[in-house]
Amino acid sequence: MTSPVKIWRNQKNTCYLAGKNGKIVSWTIIRSPSSAYKAHAPYPVAIVALDRGIRIFAQIVDSQNKDLRKGQKVVCVIRRILEPDKEGIIPYGIKAKPVE
Amino acid sequence: MDIAVIGAYTTRFGELWGTSPRALAREAVGGALDDAKISKQSIDALYVGNMLSGILGGQEHLGAFFAEELNLSCPAYKVEGACASGGLAVHSAIAGVKSGQYRTVLVLGIEKMTDHTPEDVAIALMSAGSDEERVSGVTFPGLYAILARAHTEAYGTTEKQLASVSVKNHYHASLNPKAHFQKQINLNHVLESPRIADPLKLLDCSPISDGASAVIISQINMNKTKKIGNSENRLIQIIASAVATDTLGLAQRRSLTELSSTKKAGISALREAGISCREIDIAEVHDCFSIAEILAMEDLGFYEKGKAAKAIENGKTSLVSGGAIVVNPSGGLKACGHPAGATGVRQIAEIVEQLRGRCDKRQVKNARFGLAQNVGGSGATAVVHIFKSI
Repeated sequence: MTSPVKIWRNQKNTCYLAGKNGKIVSWTIIRSPSSAYKAHAPYPVAIVALDRGIRIFAQIVDSQNKDLRKGQKVVCVIRRILEPDKEGIIPYGIKAKPVE
Repeated sequence: MDIAVIGAYTTRFGELWGTSPRALAREAVGGALDDAKISKQSIDALYVGNMLSGILGGQEHLGAFFAEELNLSCPAYKVEGACASGGLAVHSAIAGVKSGQYRTVLVLGIEKMTDHTPEDVAIALMSAGSDEERVSGVTFPGLYAILARAHTEAYGTTEKQLASVSVKNHYHASLNPKAHFQKQINLNHVLESPRIADPLKLLDCSPISDGASAVIISQINMNKTKKIGNSENRLIQIIASAVATDTLGLAQRRSLTELSSTKKAGISALREAGISCREIDIAEVHDCFSIAEILAMEDLGFYEKGKAAKAIENGKTSLVSGGAIVVNPSGGLKACGHPAGATGVRQIAEIVEQLRGRCDKRQVKNARFGLAQNVGGSGATAVVHIFKSI
């Protein structure tokens, strides 16, 4: 189970990044994931350069093949990042979503 | 002070289900001691290079664990630096000798990976990355795939060129009786293998392996050594040992078309050795994925940026070409196998055996200088060693 304290501690960062705009720098599609992400595969992940020079590593959501390219504009959105345990709290974090 | 490798031994690499970590350690260390023709009473300290014993096997305290198995009571350390654990252990051992604290030290690189499911190993390997990377669901092949795509965007590197790294390394491993895969493959095998993380395919990736390798390092007196040296069991001088680090996460790097840790460690190693990279005859580089060998060739200075892929495709670094440098004559991580903590030590054992002229079918002729490059994570740690035959 992800520690609730750890989730709480990371929330500041999640709130800070939510809604920020950026562009894809480089990307791949994960087809052979670890057990925790098996249900989602295949899924794209990317390095995203946000405005103001911050770079993050994030999963790309709500995307089509044409969105997977260098320079594609994305926005940071809050999404569930892992399956919660039966009694655990739901871990939310940042993913990036293509915008026109 | 002059320092040399006086003994080296590597076990068979592969899926060694019948062999325990203790048995692997006994074989590797016994072999290295026999090779050096010394008894274990001469060992002043043990350095163990290992990455995953805690997270996969639940066993930490590896210094004492292997000291017990080897019936030693000298100081014993575990050194961890992800897939560079082996190289980092050798660097630490050299520092121990240079400091004057120890005269003769034993380095054991070891990893037991195939007892666990590939999914569990995938999670364990990501412990080398950053928290942000783990949350995104990226895997290790995924990180190198992102580097491969950036390299393609910048220099037009093709999937065929990536595949040619694996084809070359499988050919070399077909001549190495201890390699994990001793089978030749062709470009189509690589290009048609299942995609793991685009553009990387299964045969662009090094395997999950078991294995161990040991080297014995000692202070030597060069003047005396020359007289007793013979071609059968020559000492191999260590003329440089350098380490550099970088950000854990790939997103925080300034460039995605190089590993700056390799560049930095390479430059300091060549400076320490007092030679240029043109003088290097053989190199064992960290080809955990095909793109990694291309990056290594450029970052170490053997080729200009954007030129290595074509050279490898044209066979310039293969044993058959007899060109200026032969790269990964052992078969590299791709085909010799990649038991994480063992790899950095295994690379050095290969260079030592090559410089002694004892590599039989895969022997590189007249090799005098050899280089080993070992990388941890996606380049957060890089270790470079340079060796010279006496």
